[in-house]
Amino acid sequence: MTGALGIYNYWIYVLLMMIGLYGVIAKPNLIKQAIALGLFQTGIFLYYISMAVIDGGTAPVWTTILDGAQKYEGPYDNPLPHVLILTAIVVSVSVLAVALALIINIKRTYGTIEYDELEAMDQADKRADYQRGQVVDAADDVEHRLEGHHHA
Amino acid sequence: MNAVVLIDTLLLLLVTATAVAIVEVRSLYASSILTGIYSLLMALVWVNMHSMDVSFTEAAVGGGISTILLIGTLVHVGREEKPIKKRLHVPALVFTALTGAALIYGTLDMPRFGDPAAPIHHYRVPEMMAQTVGFVNGTPGKQKPPEGFDLERYRRFDGRVTGPIPADPTDTAWREKSILQTEGLIVPQVRAAHEPHAEPGHHLHPPDDFNGHVPNSVTSLLAAYRGYDTMFETTVIFTAGVSLILLLRRPRREGYLQPGAVMSDQVILRVVTKLSIPFILIFGFYVITHGELGPGGGFQGGVVLATAFILYALIFGRAALYRVVPPPVSDMLTGLGVLIYSGTGAVCMLLGGKFLDYSMLNPELPGDGESLGMTLVEYGVGITVSMVMLTIFNQLAEERST
Repeated sequence: MTGALGIYNYWIYVLLMMIGLYGVIAKPNLIKQAIALGLFQTGIFLYYISMAVIDGGTAPVWTTILDGAQKYEGPYDNPLPHVLILTAIVVSVSVLAVALALIINIKRTYGTIEYDELEAMDQADKRADYQRGQVVDAADDVEHRLEGHHHA
Repeated sequence: MNAVVLIDTLLLLLVTATAVAIVEVRSLYASSILTGIYSLLMALVWVNMHSMDVSFTEAAVGGGISTILLIGTLVHVGREEKPIKKRLHVPALVFTALTGAALIYGTLDMPRFGDPAAPIHHYRVPEMMAQTVGFVNGTPGKQKPPEGFDLERYRRFDGRVTGPIPADPTDTAWREKSILQTEGLIVPQVRAAHEPHAEPGHHLHPPDDFNGHVPNSVTSLLAAYRGYDTMFETTVIFTAGVSLILLLRRPRREGYLQPGAVMSDQVILRVVTKLSIPFILIFGFYVITHGELGPGGGFQGGVVLATAFILYALIFGRAALYRVVPPPVSDMLTGLGVLIYSGTGAVCMLLGGKFLDYSMLNPELPGDGESLGMTLVEYGVGITVSMVMLTIFNQLAEERST
């Protein structure tokens, strides 16, 4: 396939990745961010699988061996991207699960999963600490910030 | 425009529209359900591009497990997103537009969709597609050629190929092409002691060539060519299960059993569930066991097995599930899968081969050995994946008393 349609799949992959990226940046809800991260991943999957396609090809299963009567002389699509992506999909659900577990813990600790509210609560905590004259330990501060903010 | 491209074009437009809806819809519940629809559309896209294994995985994982996990989480965190004043986030839009433009500029250089001359269809493909073991082509491989091995005779397939043959003995592409083009599968008689053999459903094949046993080249790549990679992918999934236990499991003194919502008073749900669970389990084992013959394998089959348990828990409550699979048992099985995988590799070493050199499992018929080894590691993957998915579901559904 030549012309603009020849790279149509690659444009859609960019589009899907950017929709995901937009969701991660623009949406304050952590669940929405985790879902958007998944969209970003499927964009990459599409890129890999699109590369594996060959004109007139078929699934890389050796049909000649299963059915001796009918000869198929190829071509076969490239199986390597398929291997990479099928494991990546299962890993992506593991990533989603760990993200969801962290989000549940954030909800239990802070009572909200909106990024801007979490940020505001952390800032208020810090202001209160300073007003009470407590010296905030630098290492403590980093730990505090990690707990509150870094799960996107 | 051929059919593949036409279907591809239309499906991807649908996929993109769904993606926009997922990000923009305010209800998180709607967003989760749309994620399931998105995955099913993606599964269709994968089928259209002939990647059956990926499609299988996407349908099982994306359409099944992910949606359940998301909805299970919404129980804890609420199903509505906080209303935002500004619907459009301008800095994010500018940033993504610029990044997207740069990436699209990059795609202009890409080989066209389906172009047979693209580098990906040439570099290393012959070795990957001609998944052969042992002394094939006389290359320094896993095993030494037997006494009296005649390379020339072997490469000419017992004299059936009379024309010129390439000088390079590692030119496996030529060998595969010959196999495909010659009438009847060629069986070089390289070992007098071992007749070429055929089984029902299999073609005759050389004893050292496992394409006869593993027609699905995706599985042979997954378990042999990239065996290490797959082993550590399994470990990643195992780690995710451990993380969920560490993050969310309640202290043991509080007990595992929590009745939660039970739907077993609904007669239709109860009967249909009990009827379908055996078939789901059989299908899961079928998918794992036949991974080397057709689409499927440990990852897909494991997820299918997990859905049977999850369905049971959804209808009869997690207390009932814990009577079937107590948490200590599922925890142990999670580790057992990884152990089976790495243990298979270690056994190959003990038998004198390299790590994950399955042909050592049956040195007489290396092709059978490869097939056996792949089935074993697929079972390892399947056990780990199913039990991790079950653990993830259990932990996300668990309520903490504090």
